[in-house]
Amino acid sequence: MSLLLDKVSYNYPGSTHGLHDVSLDVRTGELVAVIGPSGSGKSTLLKLVSGLETGHTGRIALDGEDMSRTPVHQRHIGMVFQSYALFPHLSVLDNVAYGLKLRKVAAAERHRRAQELLDIVGLGEFSRRAVAQLSGGQQQRVALARALAIDPRALLLDEPLSALDASVRGHLRDQIRAIQQRFNATTLLVTHDQEEALAMADRVAMLKDGRLLQIATPRDIYENPASRAVAEFVGLSTILPAKVAAPGRLDMGFAELFADTGRRAFGTEVNVLVRPEHIRPDPAADAVNRLAGRSGAQRYLGALTRYDFEVQGAAKPFLAESSRPAAEAIAIAPEHLRLLDH
Amino acid sequence: MTLETNLVRVISLVYGLYLLLPIALLLVGSVGGNWTNTLLPTGITGQWYVDLWLDTSFRKAFVSSLVVALSACAINTVLALPLAYALYHGARRGGSLAARIVSATPVAVPTITLAFGYMIVFNTDLAPWLGSMPLLIAAHAILTLPYLTNTLLTDLRHLDLGRLEQAAATLGASGWQQFTGIVLPSLRQSLISGLVMVAAISVGEFGVSNLLTSFQNRTYPVVLLQAFYGATGFACAATVILLVLASASALLSSSLVKQRA
Repeated sequence: MSLLLDKVSYNYPGSTHGLHDVSLDVRTGELVAVIGPSGSGKSTLLKLVSGLETGHTGRIALDGEDMSRTPVHQRHIGMVFQSYALFPHLSVLDNVAYGLKLRKVAAAERHRRAQELLDIVGLGEFSRRAVAQLSGGQQQRVALARALAIDPRALLLDEPLSALDASVRGHLRDQIRAIQQRFNATTLLVTHDQEEALAMADRVAMLKDGRLLQIATPRDIYENPASRAVAEFVGLSTILPAKVAAPGRLDMGFAELFADTGRRAFGTEVNVLVRPEHIRPDPAADAVNRLAGRSGAQRYLGALTRYDFEVQGAAKPFLAESSRPAAEAIAIAPEHLRLLDH
Repeated sequence: MTLETNLVRVISLVYGLYLLLPIALLLVGSVGGNWTNTLLPTGITGQWYVDLWLDTSFRKAFVSSLVVALSACAINTVLALPLAYALYHGARRGGSLAARIVSATPVAVPTITLAFGYMIVFNTDLAPWLGSMPLLIAAHAILTLPYLTNTLLTDLRHLDLGRLEQAAATLGASGWQQFTGIVLPSLRQSLISGLVMVAAISVGEFGVSNLLTSFQNRTYPVVLLQAFYGATGFACAATVILLVLASASALLSSSLVKQRA
């Protein structure tokens, strides 16, 4: 079941918030993560796909079939909410079996299937419990089992891990991914945690102000961001303005650096992106793109230290990460200076 | 022991006495023999309770009160559930004025105005129903409806029922299925405690009942008023019965609420 959004626009009544001309596709069995700052429209996107919000322009299609006229309860799409939304008056098993009950599946069969799903999410023994007795992580797994029980055409996850403790998140993240792959469920995951998106997704889509800025694999969106906005949101970065001085040479203002300038003309203004892990501390005196300076604020993170490196004349310090902070100089290989045109 | 602690204790004691003294006196009076112009009654007797039991007008009134209360409960169940549901969803889209009006009615509209309204409208040739049982039941139902509606409305918000309905919708539930399968079962406990409140208010209601009853269907508080023209002990016993009824309703209601939490 593939999911397609074609030039979808939506405005909340009386505001300019919403979506503007968003087109993206999710292939069968693929997990696409949608990320972006607050107000970027990612929850709106999910609500439109699920049918909980209607009135958009453009096409939303499941396997080629336009969903605009189909009401929520007929779309056959499973959804998992940030607040779990388990039914408090039903037991865990009955929660999972709820969708099957609506579809008039016989009691024995739906209980069997619900139990099977609970076993898959690792909660087989909890089937008779009341919802309130479960922890947050357990409730979310029940919610996932419930959504999958109806054999949905697509799976929508609305910030499923946001309400959970950090310690629970990592483990549950892997579990959700494993289950999604096992069921080959076409999935849209909305999250504000970009690490979660990079770790789980086949492709990542970034929204800002209701527009789709880029959709690419996690590696691509991190290493080749399409614009400054994407580069700033995904991962840590240092972004500085520069001008093309000559083919392969950049004028930073405080120094001239070697970089791949592509076909850009002399004098073109660009933004230069450097990821913190690509900054080499204290290189040899003849290293390429060597910058002298001194270390500023240091943040010990255990495996490595994240620190500011101040270079005279630069508008802001470089954000760097390595096992020990640089004492007097840094170097950045030319291939790690990424140029962004806007 | 600081001065403030002592002061607080004294004030609490005095306030407690103020609340409990009338009830204590009623209890004492209900088993007292003769009580006229003395500080405490003379003699101990259970006769008043026996007299109450044997008095047909009191028994009839007791039954009448129960019938009115239970009928009001039934009517309000049917009315309040859809009303609270509509207000809940209406409020979420910004129509909260209606919700606020409903919440404020019990306090803002004195019951006596309701009674006068009924008296004027239903004492005409076109609708000569003043004094009839159905009218009395209708008045009690209208009177207590805001209380039940508020209880349900609060519960709807507290349970974030809108979110649960959305989940049910994605799983395939139509609007009606959401209402019957998710909303109603979730409201069960607050419905029960709300109904107990309705019953308790109805049983103790005097102002409207006094104006709208005929001699045949007087409710308990109305008959109780007559009792005070007779022997004090008898009246005290009758009032104690009413107190027991009201307390039982209140306790039942609060224990149900605690169970939920």
